Amino acid sequence: MNREKVVFSFFMILALTLNFGFYVGEVDNPNHHNVYELFAVVVVNLIATVLKFGDRSQMGAMLLATSLVALVQLFSASIVWTYVVNIQGHEMTPEVMVTIISLSGGALIANFISVILLIIETSMMRH
Amino acid sequence: MSLVTSLIMRQMRAPIIILIIGYAISILGMALTPGLDDQGNLWYMSFFDAFYFVSYTATTIGFGEIPYPLSNAQRSWALFTIYLTVISWFYSLGKIISLVQDPTFREALKINHFKRQIERVPDTFILICGFGETGHALASALTERNIHTVVIENDAQIIQTLPLEDFKLVIPGIRGDASNPEDLITAGLQHPKCAAVIAATSSDEINLKIAITSKLLNPDICVICRSEIEEYESNMFSFGTDFVINPFDTFANIFAMAMHSPSLHLLYDWLTGVPNTDLTNPVYIKDGHWIICGFGRFGEGLYQQLLNSDIQVTVIDPSEEKREQFLNRPENHGNDFIIGTGFDAHTLTVAGVGHAVGLISGTDNDSNNLSIIMTAREINPDLFIVARHNKMNNEKLFSATHANIVMQPSEIIARKIRSLLVSPLMIAFLNKAKNQDPTWANITISRILGVLGESVPNIWTLHVNHEEARALCKTLRLGRIIRVGNLLQNPRQREQQIEAIPLMLKRNQKLLLMPSDDIALKSNDELLFCGTPGASRSMTWTLNDIHSLNYIMTYEETHDSTIWRKVTQFIKRKERRNRPRQNRHRIK
Repeated sequence: MNREKVVFSFFMILALTLNFGFYVGEVDNPNHHNVYELFAVVVVNLIATVLKFGDRSQMGAMLLATSLVALVQLFSASIVWTYVVNIQGHEMTPEVMVTIISLSGGALIANFISVILLIIETSMMRH
Repeated sequence: MSLVTSLIMRQMRAPIIILIIGYAISILGMALTPGLDDQGNLWYMSFFDAFYFVSYTATTIGFGEIPYPLSNAQRSWALFTIYLTVISWFYSLGKIISLVQDPTFREALKINHFKRQIERVPDTFILICGFGETGHALASALTERNIHTVVIENDAQIIQTLPLEDFKLVIPGIRGDASNPEDLITAGLQHPKCAAVIAATSSDEINLKIAITSKLLNPDICVICRSEIEEYESNMFSFGTDFVINPFDTFANIFAMAMHSPSLHLLYDWLTGVPNTDLTNPVYIKDGHWIICGFGRFGEGLYQQLLNSDIQVTVIDPSEEKREQFLNRPENHGNDFIIGTGFDAHTLTVAGVGHAVGLISGTDNDSNNLSIIMTAREINPDLFIVARHNKMNNEKLFSATHANIVMQPSEIIARKIRSLLVSPLMIAFLNKAKNQDPTWANITISRILGVLGESVPNIWTLHVNHEEARALCKTLRLGRIIRVGNLLQNPRQREQQIEAIPLMLKRNQKLLLMPSDDIALKSNDELLFCGTPGASRSMTWTLNDIHSLNYIMTYEETHDSTIWRKVTQFIKRKERRNRPRQNRHRIK
């Protein structure tokens, strides 16, 4: 067992599961989506991205690209949240929540692709 | 992704992750710790506030307790935050600094820099393997003629000092083992711009390896090898090495040339010298008794040349074995072989230095050679002395001895390779010149002196084709006649001549030495010129600028723009109509 692989897969799958956890629920209901969960998704995604740095293979490039996509989506979601709540000073409204959740939905797909690629790579190594 | 970025990214993984985790813990803790707002209500920092707080705390900027004074619970978490994040930063910075100092990383940076330098070379470059004395002399002469060179050398110190040296062009250098194919490829062996490889290391074995590698990995390029041992030489030729240069053979040939025809030797010396240095004086080698000290590769080569000219020779060498071999060969019967070193007066006197005309000090030890020269000069001050100079740093000593000819292996090789690379026509010219009588060489020399004056001329070739002589080709296609002499006219002042001499004309594989001025040029001709750099520039104008050519040929002015052309045509037609009939033929 390779410890590096365990850590690597752990963070990638954790990024996907946390992202999913944040995403599920009614799309316009702020009570169904926790800000702490979004924070966790961002942090775990950041770590997963950094773990993919410096791999010169084609697969490594694809993995890094998907992670970067997820990060862009999640950063946009957090910025929308911060802008509305902290800068404009409004309460969270269903319309804003929809934007945030759809952005995080995009990140979810990117994370999903990332995990699929990971599975493909692993199964290729088995053969 | 390049190797450098990849290395940085890989090395930076751990520090960045530590920073992310440190920040994440601090921010989360800050957002979860209860505080009080200005009205005394329970208040939690938002993630935005927490991120702001941690950011200015971690970077030790410290704006204070924003937006409300912190509660004790928040302060205790802030304490933890400070230590956690500041330590993470220290760790990351330390990692970055150690990465910059990492030898692998530095090596990668250097290779990257080298590759970018190669990419910046505008046309083609020549790869020099080994930057010893030969490599150095070559690089300086080639760059002097605007030929780009790239250097691979095993000694890191030489590569480090390379950028500090004063060459005319930037010479990219890389540290590497030239006998290792990987290193040669890194140095640009397979690069499309690589035109030739010169194996100029001091070891024949490494040179052989370089030649094989180059011919296998890039069969199209020209490979030039330095070699001092005969077996290696034939081995190099066996797989198609283009040129193998043996400094001793080369020198022996030059020596023979100097012996038979001093003026031809002088011509050779001038045309293959480093441009813009002073012209050398002729050497006259006298007939009579010669002494050779040291019967190695050098001495033997010169002995053969002296033997061919029926000159009486006495050889001095400490080896008994060589004496046996020497005396066993029937052609040597007229000559003596004395066992000895040559730097003691006794041996020299026995060898007959008193009445000898020339002495060759050809041992492979510079101190011995110097000692031989000094001792012999004391006995016979009129001796003609040929000195073998082995180590570059003894140069001052050898010039102080005032030896008539000093043979420096690296200089000989550099000179030969230079003439090979500067122009293939040059070699053909020198070969053809060898068969001419001495008067021819004398005339040529006086012509060069008369036109060019005191310094070694530049050499350049002209292909009469569309790339190199646009205007000339266009005009030739119109059926007009342009002669060699026209090229020598100054495009600014057509009555004046530029300081250049046509040395040879090559047409349909036929070579013509010193073409006269009235030969009409044809397309695809190749011409070899020598002259000043300014003359070469002036000639480029004549060749490529239609206005300059028209001016020289006293043709009518042509115009580039359509409107002007129409206007002049109109004016001409009008003139013609007004002119009396009989004069019409004269126009044009």
